[in-house]
Order: sequence, then structure tokens, then C-alpha cells
Amino acid sequence: MRAERYGLEEIRAGLRLSDIYWVCWRELKKFFGQRTRILMAVIQPLIWLLFLGNSLTGLTRNPFASQMLGVDNYLVYMTPGIMVMTSLFGGIFGGLSVVWDRHFGYLNKLLAAPISRAAIPMGKMLAAAIQSVIQVTIITIIATILGVRFACGPAGFLLIVAIVFLFSFGVSGISISLGAVIRSQETLMAIVNFLTMPLMFASNAMFPLEAMPAWLQTIARWNPLSYAVTPLRELVGQGLWSATIGKGLLAMFIFAAIMSLVASRQFRRSIA
Amino acid sequence: MVHAGTAAPAIEVIDLKKTYRGGIEAVKGISFQVEKGEIFGFLGPNGAGKSTTIMMLTTLIKPTGGRAAVDGFDVVKEAYRVRTRLGYVSQDLAVDDNLTGRENLILQAHFYHIPRSQLKARIDEVLELVGLRERCDDRVEFYSGGMRKRLDIACGLIHRPSILFLDEPTLGLDIQTRHEIWRYIEKLRSENKMTIFLTTHYMDEADALCDRIAIIDRGVIKAIDAPSALKDQLGGDVIFFRFSDGSGDAAAATMAALRELPGVKEISQHGEEKVVVARNGDLLLPQIFEAAQKNGARIESVTLKRPTLDDVYLAHTGRALREGAGGKEEFRRQRMAMRRARR
Repeated sequence: MRAERYGLEEIRAGLRLSDIYWVCWRELKKFFGQRTRILMAVIQPLIWLLFLGNSLTGLTRNPFASQMLGVDNYLVYMTPGIMVMTSLFGGIFGGLSVVWDRHFGYLNKLLAAPISRAAIPMGKMLAAAIQSVIQVTIITIIATILGVRFACGPAGFLLIVAIVFLFSFGVSGISISLGAVIRSQETLMAIVNFLTMPLMFASNAMFPLEAMPAWLQTIARWNPLSYAVTPLRELVGQGLWSATIGKGLLAMFIFAAIMSLVASRQFRRSIA
Repeated sequence: MVHAGTAAPAIEVIDLKKTYRGGIEAVKGISFQVEKGEIFGFLGPNGAGKSTTIMMLTTLIKPTGGRAAVDGFDVVKEAYRVRTRLGYVSQDLAVDDNLTGRENLILQAHFYHIPRSQLKARIDEVLELVGLRERCDDRVEFYSGGMRKRLDIACGLIHRPSILFLDEPTLGLDIQTRHEIWRYIEKLRSENKMTIFLTTHYMDEADALCDRIAIIDRGVIKAIDAPSALKDQLGGDVIFFRFSDGSGDAAAATMAALRELPGVKEISQHGEEKVVVARNGDLLLPQIFEAAQKNGARIESVTLKRPTLDDVYLAHTGRALREGAGGKEEFRRQRMAMRRARR
């Protein structure tokens, strides 16, 4: 396909942050306009923490298990896992909004406007990341009420937010890249669901790597989820000063950067 | 900026083609021009290539051949500039149900980079134009189909485009709302001097609104002209009339006299009914009465039938408009738009 030649105005438009901001504004406005969605954002982590966290507290009564988990309270182990899972779910459905926008014609309306193509996926990714940060804040509050002490303190919480933000931004990038190509909601849902469960269980989100068979450990080590979970777990359990935190932050940053490139490219290619 | 001036036509299309992947030739090399300030209509059945053309002109898809320019700018090479100049209202009722009317317009205004200082005035201006002032702070999900359409049109107008593209502007709307939309479209042309390009498969819409129409069928333009000229090309109006009983020779003399009248093309007789095909039938009617009176004949009944665009369409494409079978995708889009319009 012939490449579109870009004029000066178009290049300037490519850098216009306000376009990203307004795409994101729309998504967030919709999010806050739907009371059920906000309610779910609160209830979902609460249920995860209460049910899953409590049902497995028995684990830490076993000294070997406790040693393997590295904590003496399973909730402390579980909280970072739930944070990452929540942002995984938040991000992975981001592509649905692309499919839906296409379905009722809004996408064409956006594309006929003089905004840069990349602003559309980037704005949606930003919105998903912000929603995840909101959810993680809620989780932090609930976990604190349930007695989890965050070893990292308030400054560390900012690092948690940064990691979650980048992770969710990247994950929604995967989903949006798929949404740019797949035109049916059902197909996208099927693929996303197919991705989510293995991503979750083949990671250290809920169970320590040491408890897994070797082959699963290998997968879990390469899973981007683990890259987010590990530093969060250190922040919650050990505190601010740990080597893996910088590494995790860097990994997340690279993940987010790659996904923004991929999503923007996918978007430009398959839609415009 | 050299070529974008008063001299350039609003839309210029030369041998434009679109072949989709999979080999479907939606548009097979069409050419036309739309002058500034004109209301130009694309008339054709579903799947004729109307939406494909409008999507190429609004930079949403790339042509596979030929070229097109909007306001003097090439739709492929200068897509960005084209976008700043056109307003696009699709057939989908593409307004966000989860936002209020005003929020939809705020978004649209920002996507077109309207300065903050002008934002409120612009929004109020378009709300006033489409008569949505009172309901603008309600969420769109509580709007009727007609209100959604009006909001969608308002969105297309927020940046005061020089050319407005309307894809099936009244699809799925009730008659009252359709006439309302027509009034807005006419107002835009007369008060704002806007060029309007619309597609429709409604004959009466093309007839009532458009200065010129192009009849498109299976990706090819069959005819372009003013609706009245297209109708005239069919041969003109048809007048049916009957003489009172016992007119006899007087009737024959009258018929002979009619043959001499200007504009009469053909005279025939089906039983008692006389049939005259003529240009400007309305002007001919009094002359028929005069001729009858002069020759002492009395006319019992007269019917004047003017050709409709339906007849024009049939003549050019060999099939009635409603028979056209559209593509699956277009059919789905239209059903979706209709459902949304009826809510």
C-alpha cells in the first residue's frame, strides 16, 4: 500500500497531546458515568481479597508453605497478585471499546477528524491505565483495613502506582492491537478470555514459583505478569529498597513503550 | 495553499476507483465535480457504491485508482488538510449514548482543535441551529432517533466546515423528522453558504433537496444533472384526457390542432383516452383547452403526469430502486442505524 505523505500539519498533529487527552477523557467520562462499573471496580477486588485471600490463609499455618511464600500472612502475599490481576482485567478488555466504536460508527467519526491516528489507541490505553490505578488505590485501602501492612510506606505506594499504570497501559495495548484487526466482539472476547486465564495462572500472581513444576516455572518467569508482580510483592512485603524494583519498573516501561508502538502501528495499518 | 482558493471546485473526482480486498469492485472509475454552494446528491440503491465514495472523499478509505480533491486538496496526499475542511455525518448515528449532548459536542470541538475561548459560543450556535438547546444536558441514551440525528449533524458542523458530507441523512427516520432534517440542510446552504454532498436512496429526498444528482448503480455513474433536467430527458410530461360524448369531428379537429402546438412530441390514443407526451405539460394544458374550445369540442377529464425520479432511475438502470441488493456489511450498518434511530 502506498504510504501517505505527511505535511507539516500532520506531523504536528502526531505530537499533539491534547488529542490523546480528549480520547482518554471520553473513556473516563463513560467510566464514571456508569454507576455499576464503578461499583464493580470496588466490589471485584474486595471479593478477590476476602474470598481468595481468606480461603487460602490456612496455607501460611504450614511453616514450609509460609517459607515458600516468604510471608507469614497469605493476604500480604496475595495483595500484589490481586493488584496485578485487576489491572490485567482492566486492560485486557480495552480492545472491546475499539470494536464497539467501530460497530456504531464512532470510530469513523474520529478518523474523519484531524486528529492523529495514534492518539486513538494511546488515549484508550491511558484511560485503561488510569482506571487500574483507581482500582489499585481501592485495593490498597481495603487491604490496609484487612490488616495488610505496606512495608514500602506512602512513597512506595507511588512506585506501586507507577508499575500498575505501565502494566495496564501495556496490556490494554495488546487488547487494542487485537481490536484494531478483529471486527467482531464475540471473537475478541473469546481470544481475550483465552489469554487471560493462562496469563494469570502461569505467573506468580497467586502462587510462588517454587511451588510450580519446572516447565511452568519457565513459562511464569517469562510472563510479563510476573515482571509486575515480583516488584510489587517486594514493595508490599519487604519495603522500598530492593534490587528487583528498579528492574521491574524498567521492564514495565519497556513493555508499555513497545505496546504503544505496536498498537499505534496496528491502528494506522488496519484502520486508516 | 496555492490551489485552494475560490477557483477550485468544492469536490473534484477523476476516474475514482475502489476495489476491496477480495476483488469486489465497489466503485469502477467515476468522475464528477461539485461546485461551491451546491447541494449534490448521490442517488442509488444499497451497494451501489455511495458509501464507498463518501468514505474515500472523507479520507476514511484509500482509493485504489484515480484521484479526488476536496476544497482543492488531494484526499490521499493531503488527507490531514481535507479533514480540517470537511464535516462528516455518517449513516450510523455515531453519537456517544453514554455522554450528554453537550459532552458529545465538547469532544467534537476539541477533536477539531477549536480554541477554548470560542468553544462555548460554537456549541451554543450549533445547538441552536438543530434545536437541541433544552435537551443538551441530558444523556444521549434518552434521545429519540430524530434528536440523535440532529445531534450528529450538529457534531459535523461544529468546526464550520466548508463542505458537509451526509451519508443517508434521513435513513430510518419518520416522515416528520425527515422534513425537519431537510429544512436544516436547506438552511445550511442558504444561510451558511455550505457545500453539501449527500447520498440517499430516497427519490423524494434527492428531488426535494438537490441542485444536481448523480445516479449511481453498481459502481458506475449513469447520469448527472438537475432532477428536473433528468426528468425532461425521459421525454417530458404525459397528459391524458377524454372528450365528452358526441364531440366527434370536433374532437378530430382538436387532435389535429394539438399536433401543431410547440412542445408536443407524441400523440396517441388508447380507446377513448388520448395521450399526449410533451415538454412542459403544465404550459400545454391551457392550450389544449383553447384548441378544444376553438373547434367546438368539450373535454371531460384531464390528468397531467410528470415523470418522477423513480421513472428516471428505472430508465437509467433498468430496475427499480428498491430492488437493489446491498452488500452484507452495508446491510448490517443500515439495520443498526435504523434500530438506533427508532429508539
